[in-house]
Amino acid sequence: MTQFPDLYEFLPQLLAGMVVNFEIAFIALVIGLALGGLLSLLSLSGGLLKAIVATLVGVMRAAPTFVVMFFLLNAIPSGTAITIGELSIGLAPSPLMAVALSLVPYSASYVVDNGIEAVMQLRRGSMLGALLFLPNITRAFFVLVMSSSTGAAIGVNEGIAVILRAAAPMTSLGDKMVLFAIGILCFGLTLQAGFFLMRVLQRRLGRSALPAG
Amino acid sequence: MLSKLPPKIGVRMPGKWRFLLLVAGLLVTGVAPALAETPDAALERLLDEARVEAETPGTCEKPGIDRLVRIFCEGKIRAGIREKYPLFGTRVGDVRFGYDVDVARAVASRLGVEPEFTRVKAATRIVLLDEDKIDVVLATMGHNTQRDSQARFIRPHYYQSETVLIGPKELPVAGWEDIAGRSICVTIGNGSNAQMISHQARLMLFEEATVLPVRLADETCMLAAQDNSFFASYFTDEGFARRFEPKFGFSQVPWGMGVARTGSDRLAKVLDLMGQVFHRTGVFLEIGRKNAIATGFLEAQKEVWARPECNTSEGNTDPACVLPPLDAALEPTPFVGNVVAAEQWIAERTGLSVSLPMFKTMPAWTLFQSGIINSLYLVVGALGATLFFALLLGALQSSENSIVQWVFKALTVILQSSPVVLTVVIAAAVAQEFFSYSSVVAIGAAIVALGLMNGSNAGQAIGEAMHTLHAENAGKDVAETKLFGRAVSRSATQIVSFLINAAKGTPVAAFIGAPELLSALTDITSFASGRATTYTILLIFYVLVVMIVVWLCGRLRVALERRHA
Repeated sequence: MTQFPDLYEFLPQLLAGMVVNFEIAFIALVIGLALGGLLSLLSLSGGLLKAIVATLVGVMRAAPTFVVMFFLLNAIPSGTAITIGELSIGLAPSPLMAVALSLVPYSASYVVDNGIEAVMQLRRGSMLGALLFLPNITRAFFVLVMSSSTGAAIGVNEGIAVILRAAAPMTSLGDKMVLFAIGILCFGLTLQAGFFLMRVLQRRLGRSALPAG
Repeated sequence: MLSKLPPKIGVRMPGKWRFLLLVAGLLVTGVAPALAETPDAALERLLDEARVEAETPGTCEKPGIDRLVRIFCEGKIRAGIREKYPLFGTRVGDVRFGYDVDVARAVASRLGVEPEFTRVKAATRIVLLDEDKIDVVLATMGHNTQRDSQARFIRPHYYQSETVLIGPKELPVAGWEDIAGRSICVTIGNGSNAQMISHQARLMLFEEATVLPVRLADETCMLAAQDNSFFASYFTDEGFARRFEPKFGFSQVPWGMGVARTGSDRLAKVLDLMGQVFHRTGVFLEIGRKNAIATGFLEAQKEVWARPECNTSEGNTDPACVLPPLDAALEPTPFVGNVVAAEQWIAERTGLSVSLPMFKTMPAWTLFQSGIINSLYLVVGALGATLFFALLLGALQSSENSIVQWVFKALTVILQSSPVVLTVVIAAAVAQEFFSYSSVVAIGAAIVALGLMNGSNAGQAIGEAMHTLHAENAGKDVAETKLFGRAVSRSATQIVSFLINAAKGTPVAAFIGAPELLSALTDITSFASGRATTYTILLIFYVLVVMIVVWLCGRLRVALERRHA
């Protein structure tokens, strides 16, 4: 017989774990915006650069996050560093950074797709169309929050890792299902809140695009 | 008694006496085994011979003398020991503690010389022997068949460890049957990893063993596997012992003192005999108890070496008395030579150090092949399941019965709200309730989970398309099946997008122990080198698979859209 975890202890741990999911998503989005922004600019310059960016984005879209995460964690031996004078910069990512970086191919390619579309809208004179970039990025952020749960596989103490740890000693499927349902509820509420935020943003943009008076 | 012969007998006895003694010796050992020389006597004789030789003027200056003689020449034995291995070899300031340290001291004392300690690590202990920086390794060194070619191992073994699985007390794990599908934290290169893999455990790899107790404590690892000698010191900590317990042990490895393979024949023989005597007389056991290590092996060995058939000078070569080394050699592939040649060719031309462990040994090659096949099964299965659930849930969400409609809409929201890892884990938990764990069950559970997740999204798109078609065709007499076909065509882009997503998600199956390529390569790197190359191959494989799926899905979308047009 195994005891169901004390919810007063479990829920704060789960929420603390979910904060880690948000951290990972934030890092992935910031790097994705920088890389995606750069690739968008290169693509807009046309010619060979556009073709190169298109190929690169195609490969990034095809790279499974879970595999990229293991690749980043294992391809660079721990302790690998660049030394410039007395400054030593470690190259091997921590597990948390490995998860965040593994999400960058998705976030960067998403930024490229939406960034180019936003610029095209601007060129057509549609500010509103261009501003749709913002809710789309909000959507990407919440997709990244959900995807960051892959960190559980490499020991990152995020939300799903907390749930699975609490479920491990349980022998009853019913108990496990209740615990998993709590997890789905917490992540689901977050996701739906994110989508609600996105819709609010879209509505506000819509209103601001209407002629004044 | 032979031990009462003059000490110089082996060196200076006249030839005819030496011949007679040899004949007598052969008669005694051949005709009357009961009178075989005891290890104590043989040890004494060999030590006396070496001491006399060392005292002979000019001997110590001779190049290439046996290390035993040199030990007497220098009055010290150089022992390679560990400094950061609690209970076996630790150092505080100039003071050294531990079982290995005390064994080295006992050996030196029996030789009548001083011990001189040199710090060694797992990676340096055999190198230092080869470079003649130390005379003997006494450093938690497991004796396996691979190391037999690198050092001369002293028999009998002075200790035996086993890999032990450590976990929280409340975790219900008692044997191999409870391991399948569970995640176990291990160190890369641990010889017992392959055994855990064969019981379908999922390994989480770490470079340093010292990380494992930390990861157990912060609950990153639910189970950790490592040498029991390593965990022994942690169990002396009250807090650790209160939370964790050894679940079960396996993969016993005898530990051997090691000496150099060349120039150490007499030293090795002396240490062999000393090991016998130390076991029989309880010297090892006493040192073990003093250092609070597990002494079950030492107690058993004390009995073994007290047996008449083992308590002879040749007992250390009798397979009935000594333990065999752990057979760690992996069967090579028939094409291992070509693989090594290819690695060298790449290194010479590009300077890149490429290691391809998956092609070098049969276990790795088998894992690699089955990993690729299982990955392809998973991709095909996930695509099929996505399409199936998309059509099924699309049809149910298009139902005119509002209850059915809302039930399946709710199911879609739930599936959308569950992170992929959690959905896969739930599918595995449900599957294990009905079937005992196996690779097929894990792959099946992953296929269903990926199909449901992506199929529900695609189904939602079909449902929405169906509603628009209902609105467009209000009042017209159009068959539902025809409308449904059009809805599928209309949502082709969404369906294709989630099919690609399903293919990209297949590696997540590794999380529940499905033996696809990621699992297989993680398993291979747990007992072989070449992580960088291995994971690069993995990345290339999956990117290519997904790109092929994207291309195929592109063709499917065109076909669906043409139908709609």
